[in-house]
Amino acid sequence: MAGIYIHIPFCKSKCSYCDFTSFPDKLCYAESYMACVYREMAMREKELSNYIFDTVYIGGGTPSVIDEKYIAMLIAAVKKHFKLADNSEITIEINPGTVSAGKIALYEKCGINRYSVGLQTAVDGQLADIGRVHNLKDYLNCAKLLKGKNFSADVMIGLKNQNIADIEYTISVAAKSGASHISMYALTPEDGTPVYTDYLNGELPDGDEVAEMYAAGVKKLASFGFERYEVSNFCKKGMESRHNLNYWRRGEYIGFGVAASSCINDTRVTNTFDLDEYFKCILSGHFAVINSEKIDKRGQEEEFIMLALRTSEGLNLKRYAELFGEDFSVKYSRQIKKVQEYVEVNEISFKIKSRFLFVQNSIIVEFFNAV
Amino acid sequence: MGNKRNVRNFCIIAHIDHGKSTLADRLMERTGQVSERDMEAQLLDSMDIERERGITIKLTPVRMFYKAGDGQEYEFNLIDTPGHVDFTYEVSRSLAACEGAILIVDASQGVEAQTLANVYLALENNLEILPVINKVDLPSARPEEAKKEIEEVIGLDASYAPLVSAKEGLNIEEVLEDIVKYFPAPSGDDTAPLKALIFDSYYDNYKGVILFVRIKDGSVKAGDKIKTFRSSQIYDVVETGVFSPGLTPKNGLFAGDVGYIAASIKSIQDVAVGDTVINAVNPATEPLPGYKQVQSVVFCGIYPLDGSRFNDLKDAILKLQLNDASLIFEPDSSVALGFGFRCGFLGLLHMEIIQERIEREFGLEIITTAPSVSYKVVKTDGEEIFVDNPSHLPPVSEIEHMEEPIVKADIYSPPDYLGQIMDLCREKRGVFLQMTYLDKSRVRLEYNLPLNEIIFDFFDAVKSRTRGYASFDYELIGYERSKLVKLDILLNGEVCDALSMIVHEDSAYTRGRTLCENLKEAIPRQLFEVPVQAAIGGKIIARETVKAVRKDVLAKCYGGDITRKKKLLEKQKEGKKRMRQIGNVEVPSEVFMQILKTNKD
Repeated sequence: MAGIYIHIPFCKSKCSYCDFTSFPDKLCYAESYMACVYREMAMREKELSNYIFDTVYIGGGTPSVIDEKYIAMLIAAVKKHFKLADNSEITIEINPGTVSAGKIALYEKCGINRYSVGLQTAVDGQLADIGRVHNLKDYLNCAKLLKGKNFSADVMIGLKNQNIADIEYTISVAAKSGASHISMYALTPEDGTPVYTDYLNGELPDGDEVAEMYAAGVKKLASFGFERYEVSNFCKKGMESRHNLNYWRRGEYIGFGVAASSCINDTRVTNTFDLDEYFKCILSGHFAVINSEKIDKRGQEEEFIMLALRTSEGLNLKRYAELFGEDFSVKYSRQIKKVQEYVEVNEISFKIKSRFLFVQNSIIVEFFNAV
Repeated sequence: MGNKRNVRNFCIIAHIDHGKSTLADRLMERTGQVSERDMEAQLLDSMDIERERGITIKLTPVRMFYKAGDGQEYEFNLIDTPGHVDFTYEVSRSLAACEGAILIVDASQGVEAQTLANVYLALENNLEILPVINKVDLPSARPEEAKKEIEEVIGLDASYAPLVSAKEGLNIEEVLEDIVKYFPAPSGDDTAPLKALIFDSYYDNYKGVILFVRIKDGSVKAGDKIKTFRSSQIYDVVETGVFSPGLTPKNGLFAGDVGYIAASIKSIQDVAVGDTVINAVNPATEPLPGYKQVQSVVFCGIYPLDGSRFNDLKDAILKLQLNDASLIFEPDSSVALGFGFRCGFLGLLHMEIIQERIEREFGLEIITTAPSVSYKVVKTDGEEIFVDNPSHLPPVSEIEHMEEPIVKADIYSPPDYLGQIMDLCREKRGVFLQMTYLDKSRVRLEYNLPLNEIIFDFFDAVKSRTRGYASFDYELIGYERSKLVKLDILLNGEVCDALSMIVHEDSAYTRGRTLCENLKEAIPRQLFEVPVQAAIGGKIIARETVKAVRKDVLAKCYGGDITRKKKLLEKQKEGKKRMRQIGNVEVPSEVFMQILKTNKD
């Protein structure tokens, strides 16, 4: 399995929790930027000629904020430079405030078959508070446009003034709007973002409260038939995001665009976070890489464990043995014993019991080496 | 040796921060001992810790030559003294090596607790005392009042005391002249059998132990056979010399001289400070007075943070002990902390210094347990034992009664804070002895206090409750019967031996409660709920709960987040290395130190 990620670093305005690479005031560069992305793909074409990619994910930023023709050209470029599997999953992230019937129609036409919609919360006051450009009505309109299509809705927990009822309500709205997949993320107050100030001021729900919200959310999601397949991801049967599952199974992926990250051949490469620098590199025919790290066997193993244990399927023992040539339950017998109350082991997999998924770091860390 | 009449052996005594080392530096500078260019701030305090803390730990004598107003040249031997109550015995021995003492009193602070303690020591050793009022350049200086305090409190005539500013170099000349004028020249008979007082020593990698001595009678030179009064071991003198500063060889030391002897002595433990060096062939029959065996007052366990570095810790302690005969230790082990050492110290400061030196000079991270004192346990079978380690306490059924060490404390304070100090002493089970008004602005309070009440945070509490105005000094006076109990801490139902302590019955509840509260804050949340309990015998007296962790996850982990998440977990793992496993509870090493802070003022 291998996936392609394309980063679109533009948006209408910056949300108060956002620390991703996105530039609300640089939309005018979209055309030049996309030209660079096409060019970056061309630069990687030869190296990746043996790969067949199963998924494409256009993320951001807000990919839907730029003119849809660039997206069409982007998909065309992907198909020109790389081999895509016949049934490949092609996802685009969209903001409910920036879509139209025309946009969706064009997306559809060029082969996009999955949408990830940033609902975040169905409570308008909270949407305004976190600086989203849309409101509930926008979301419902958007969902109407996506009716019958495969789409996911993002829901956030741990927002200022949010309570469990708000979360349950938001989940109902998302479920009833026809989403086949819901991601429920706990707000992470990153240093430098406006919500970090809220966090410092003690205005955000604390860890225990967020844990309550999460538990309530999981329950509510289940009531609508959404099953958890990763700590923050829930879906109707068979509707998992294949692109993201690939990350958690430690598959290979190639990223294009500013801040994009790739992992091919156990080398993780990160592009620059600086838009100008990205332009300069690509236009002068160089990769825009700021960091490249060859991951050693130990690192690969740690990543494999830490990613697998995020998921409900857990760590596949056979796959582990294939990759690392050892029996997981033998090699880690001491660690497994230490955390035995919190995990489930059978012939197929080793996984964290579902009620401990939200405290997984404390469990996973046992399998790590100190730096 | 030349003319003893032109020799002056003296020391400087002062309360901490009154400017002892600065004055010493100034004297050296004026006598041309060091050029101004070479002056590192405060020459005598050569250890980093000494300079940072502004205290003197290790003695450093220095020899200077001064051309006095009378046209003659005088040899000055300045013997620095440690400026802290922990080292009272060392101070008294270096005073015994002198004929005179410069008493520095800060012009704005006046007489303080240590001023007086040091003056008494000097008087006990029959020293001539020259009061000097320092820091007269400060706007808050009140030299006349300081003089008056010296006269009224100490009973010394301070009318002729030079008013100086060691920092500014003001009136230093006057001090030098007064040294010549008021301090007597040493007496002693060069031809009598050798009697030399050991006032300090240190270990040199090449020469073995270097003895710092004051020759009281007789003489010593390279080739002589010497021994100390309290040991039968005979040594050959390899080298003798003086301090100018730094060791400067000079063959032959005579009565009245201050110098050093190197005699290939292997261990500092064999040559105790205060002992008398005598000639092995022609031994003096009587030792010099004042020798005392130094006893540890405060004890604690020291363990390597990383259990595998036990041997490094052992090396470090052995090396420190080479230069510090008062540091005692024995191997110890704890269920919670593994292998380490039980160490005895002269006092809290001494303990802190050793801990700090292990960490700094040897780059070792250590865990220390709560300081304890040595309790006398009288068993039911009549046997008396001393116990400083709570986990070595015999079972309650075998204890007839226990006694704890008591100190007599002197506290000097402005009258405004009397109430606070008396409250504090009452809280610490103090017994009031007497109160004396020294003048309008100063009161002396005398209390008997249990030593174990003052080893935690008494000094800080005195300072904070009096906004730093009060000063404090104490001396050990003996043992008293007391209702003492062993307080255990249980984590998740298991006793953590490293957290046990001996406390007075009356304060057991409060201390148990505070400990549980502190531990609750200090122990990170685990995957399960951890009860933290305090118990006396089998009885639980306090309980807190460390709630189970409920959220511990990175919400998103996609392609670009993997490195970050991995780093996060690596860091978490690194943190775990600093934890000790007690039962199934992981406890950060800092916890063992944090519990020392038992009071939340």
